[in-house]
Amino acid sequence: MAEPLVRLTDLKKSYGNFEAVKGIDLEIAAGEFIAIMGPSGCGKTTTLRMLAGLEAPSGGEIFIGGERMNDVPAHERDTPMVWQSLALFPFLSVRENVEFGLKMRGLPKRERRERVAVWLERLGLEGFEKRRVDALSGGQRQRVALARSLVTEPKMLFLDEPLSALDAHLVIRMQGVLSKLQKDLGITFVYVTHSQSEAFAMADRVVIMGHGEIVQTGRPKDIFRAPRNRFVAEFVGRNNIFAGTVAGGVINVDGTQLPLPGAADGPAEIVVAADRMTVSLERPNTAALEAEFVSEEFVGTAIICYFEGPGGEELKAQVTERELELLAPEPGKHFFLSWEPDAPHVMAVTS
Amino acid sequence: MRIDGYRYTWRLPLIVWQALFFIGPLMLMVAMSFWLVRNYRMTPDFVFDNWDRMMSRSFFWDAYEVTLVRACVAAVLATLIAFPASYALAFKVSDTVRRWAIFLLVVPFFTSYLVRIYAWQVLLAESGPINAVLGFGGIGPFSMLNSGFGTMVGYMTLVLPLVIILQTTSLAGIDRNLIEAAWNLGASPVRTLFRVIIPAAKVGLIIGAVFAFILSFGDFVSPFYLGGSKPPTLSILIIDTTKSGQQWPLAAVVAIMMIVTLFVVAVAAVGAAYGRRRS
Repeated sequence: MAEPLVRLTDLKKSYGNFEAVKGIDLEIAAGEFIAIMGPSGCGKTTTLRMLAGLEAPSGGEIFIGGERMNDVPAHERDTPMVWQSLALFPFLSVRENVEFGLKMRGLPKRERRERVAVWLERLGLEGFEKRRVDALSGGQRQRVALARSLVTEPKMLFLDEPLSALDAHLVIRMQGVLSKLQKDLGITFVYVTHSQSEAFAMADRVVIMGHGEIVQTGRPKDIFRAPRNRFVAEFVGRNNIFAGTVAGGVINVDGTQLPLPGAADGPAEIVVAADRMTVSLERPNTAALEAEFVSEEFVGTAIICYFEGPGGEELKAQVTERELELLAPEPGKHFFLSWEPDAPHVMAVTS
Repeated sequence: MRIDGYRYTWRLPLIVWQALFFIGPLMLMVAMSFWLVRNYRMTPDFVFDNWDRMMSRSFFWDAYEVTLVRACVAAVLATLIAFPASYALAFKVSDTVRRWAIFLLVVPFFTSYLVRIYAWQVLLAESGPINAVLGFGGIGPFSMLNSGFGTMVGYMTLVLPLVIILQTTSLAGIDRNLIEAAWNLGASPVRTLFRVIIPAAKVGLIIGAVFAFILSFGDFVSPFYLGGSKPPTLSILIIDTTKSGQQWPLAAVVAIMMIVTLFVVAVAAVGAAYGRRRS
């Protein structure tokens, strides 16, 4: 395999006694859209800041394009970043903001103006050159920040929760803009977020971090279907986690025997995605859990129903609108939840 | 229409104060500048004699120039001397240290400015401790009193704590992400200072400089006790004029010229601080 664009080896960062990043190894290929995801305080932003040279690693090494970057100051790296707050310069116009990186690289004025014009047009900002950035809408500011980072034509772009300050409808639109931009440019995007919907919608590969470590790396689909452990499964959401004991291809969850063909005997945790659950009024022929309806939530075209399981655990099942009508659920009403034998994924038992 | 008694009751003290002690005296002073003095007594009149006399004298314009130039130098000097300290307080120390430093910068105001100037008189004297120390090194003695240098030391004593406080709060208020964004876009720390930090803190830096200008322009303690009144500044000219033969109308002319100057400078500075830049 060729040298990856970015290679992190045993990268560490600690603040006093607190270890923010505990020795991670990661390779990022050229042209990849990678999302680093995890709850707040998991070390994802610290990792990105070390890549951009805004934090000095406490240990380990960073290679970009095969070159060791540990001691290269931020302003000598070609690692532009889009901040959560965007960090646009309020005292400069749109054009001057976008021009900033080119000016620092010493490009002559004519070339700067040309390249700025190209990027403003590309992001639909033509005509805004002389506006002040605080006179723009949230979505426009977002695009100015993108233009400012991309105008220098870098090999990669870092994005630190860039959409978290936007309204929901703008988030979806900007996801489209970002995906298209990344494909058209063919450069690497490293996207840090705590939102699994953003990460799963755009990324080729997702890195899940927790407590300063990489917990799982993989394609969004694989992470969703086959989370490695309870931490990932809970973080990804929209799934049901059961802990029980397996004996002879059957798992005993709180007294209910559920088939789990091919699983090794012993304690196990399984995960079943909400969209693999079947909700029925009558007890089906297969093994099923009896659960009490709690509430429902509309998520776009589908509905997530929430139930309370026999052990008091929260269970989720995704149903269609038509199914919901037939089920006519009311809080307290009992239903039976079942799934196909191939639906469960057996996870590594943590703790 | 009913008068909102509550609202006016609270505003009344301020209105009365402003009317009695600012607007009133100001109008009286403007009127007075047209009065006549005969046999050491002022008589209300409407003549331009005082304006004629002051505006045509070179000693007035000399004093005006000295005062203006020194106040400008004080503003520039205070801004430059204060900036490294403010920068360190804003970016290089913890919040606790910064809070203590700002408290310590307020402490000088506990003692009267006049007392601090007397202290400088002792320190700067030809036989004072500073010359004594320099003497050990085989240099001096310097006459630092009764000079422009002495005046400037006094001005700095007056304005530096305030300028540092204004600059520090302004610099500390800059969004750190802006500074990191500048590095991230390829600006070295030095270019970041000039391209991002100074523009972002522009308002505080200008307000600091304006305060330094205003305080120095109107001050009479430093040019009198440390500058030896030579050459006289406008404030000293006012004292001299009122003392000599009840020439209050002439002093009023000087005072009005000072107020107009300060007003123009303040308006121009606020315009520069908040004004929109054209690209």
